[in-house]
Amino acid sequence: MEDLKKLYDAILTGNFKIARETTQQALAAGIDPQALVQQQMIPAMDEVGRRYEANEYFVPELLISARAMKASLELIRPLLAAKGAEPAGRVAIGTVKGDLHDIGKNLVAAMLEGAGFEVIDLGVDVSPEKFITAVNERHATLVAMSALLTTTMNSMKTTVEAIKAAGVRQKVKIMIGGAPVTQKYADEIGADGYSNNANAAVALARKLVAA
Amino acid sequence: MMTSRERWLAMLSGERPDRIPTDYWATDEVTARLLQEFRCADKEALYTRLNIDGVYDVKPVRTCDHHPDDPQADIWGLRRKAINYGAGSYDEFDNHPLEQIESVEQIHAYRWPRPEDHDFGRFTHDMAAAPRHRVVRVGDYEPFLLYCALRGMELAMMDLKIEPEIVDAALEHIFQYHYSLNARLFEMAHGRADITYVAEDLGGQTSLLFGLPEIRKYLLPRQKKMADLARSFGVHVFYHTDGAAREIIPDLLSVTGIEILNPIQWRCPGMEREGLVRDFGGRVIFHGAVDNQFTLPFGTVQDVRNEVLDNIRIFSGSRWICAPCHNLQPVTPTANIVTLYETIHENGIL
Repeated sequence: MEDLKKLYDAILTGNFKIARETTQQALAAGIDPQALVQQQMIPAMDEVGRRYEANEYFVPELLISARAMKASLELIRPLLAAKGAEPAGRVAIGTVKGDLHDIGKNLVAAMLEGAGFEVIDLGVDVSPEKFITAVNERHATLVAMSALLTTTMNSMKTTVEAIKAAGVRQKVKIMIGGAPVTQKYADEIGADGYSNNANAAVALARKLVAA
Repeated sequence: MMTSRERWLAMLSGERPDRIPTDYWATDEVTARLLQEFRCADKEALYTRLNIDGVYDVKPVRTCDHHPDDPQADIWGLRRKAINYGAGSYDEFDNHPLEQIESVEQIHAYRWPRPEDHDFGRFTHDMAAAPRHRVVRVGDYEPFLLYCALRGMELAMMDLKIEPEIVDAALEHIFQYHYSLNARLFEMAHGRADITYVAEDLGGQTSLLFGLPEIRKYLLPRQKKMADLARSFGVHVFYHTDGAAREIIPDLLSVTGIEILNPIQWRCPGMEREGLVRDFGGRVIFHGAVDNQFTLPFGTVQDVRNEVLDNIRIFSGSRWICAPCHNLQPVTPTANIVTLYETIHENGIL
């Protein structure tokens, strides 16, 4: 377990080279990839999230930890797919139409991936139609929307309405976030939840898929 | 009755102005709309109409306004594209010229702009033409924001942890450009430059964007040098940081030595107005504090009025310049904008 702890530490400290090497060694030694995810990766990212909420980690630390996590996941993912392992949930995430700001969205996407979710990253300036396509064709069960501007927030409302009009509202839970967004706004537009930071987004996603 | 400039300068010198000064920050779309609605020929007429003590910017004109390697890019090598979001548009960066860089040598080899490539004769003329009743702003410096554009925001943020020499080298180039330029502009202004803009977005919505060690290592020393330069010419330092920046304010005051702190996003944790007044009220002028994320765009006129009145009460006993927290956005009703300025005009006599 000493070697495996190296993966936990590598993710926590953002060392993607050690994360990759340790994962390669562990897989070569026959360690179950699911065990790596459940016992090292997810706890490491949970601790990253905890430190972020405690103002011990900030955006740079989250980014380098996420990069280390992804370096490990890149090696693990094909093995999980081959085993037919199910993710914690399938999330279509994007910054809404008219908005190109993505660092918050990217942090949430990384944290969700680190928590065992399959993340369909739709990018920025995402139309309602693209979210709907992700639900229909890629079987997303969670839609996560980000907006940074008061002027683009309204695209969240139009996306929720489009999802309803497309007849797929019952297939997904919808969560929103971003600097100008509030719980009140989430309630107004009929979203299922709101979170104000990347770590809280993971907790919310877990709660929504369990509901 | 004081002029707008006298009002600001009185506050900066610790004297009591006749009324609380005001300022105006808005997107071009908002300004165009207000000019049309109020049938004002220009911003000066709008300021007169709404009793705004707005700042007059004098920016030097460059003799070459594009990067030598890319005629489509600005002097830093950045291209922009207009993104329409319905109610208006923003110019967003379309490239990151430093994103492939892997060494300090490559940073030094990059073709940085030259401060001497400006029409200084034109600057002299423009300074002479600046209205005497307005505060004049010369110089703006926001280095890490520029670095994020050059490098890509995620790489730039990661560089703070894992590529210290690269980020430091780039920030030094950016600093040297602005420092050399400002030194020349302040000198040529002959005492007519009142404020200079020193900025960095250190706060996000709920916390600092990056940690105190990184801010202190990479940003504060050069900010201090820029502020010292300004002070040597009698120019006051106007500091902008969005968001939850409470933790860094003591450093901004004692290290950088700022005089005006903008925009006071009081809804962010740690930025509560009462706490800021209690802890820093005697050391800095607060600028802004009229919420631009909720109250101004989505509140009622009564909400706006109440917030301005709250600010008058909370900031009494300290120094405050009334303004929106950042640019008024096109979703903001005109009635709310008018209410902001009418309320402070009716109730802002000191």
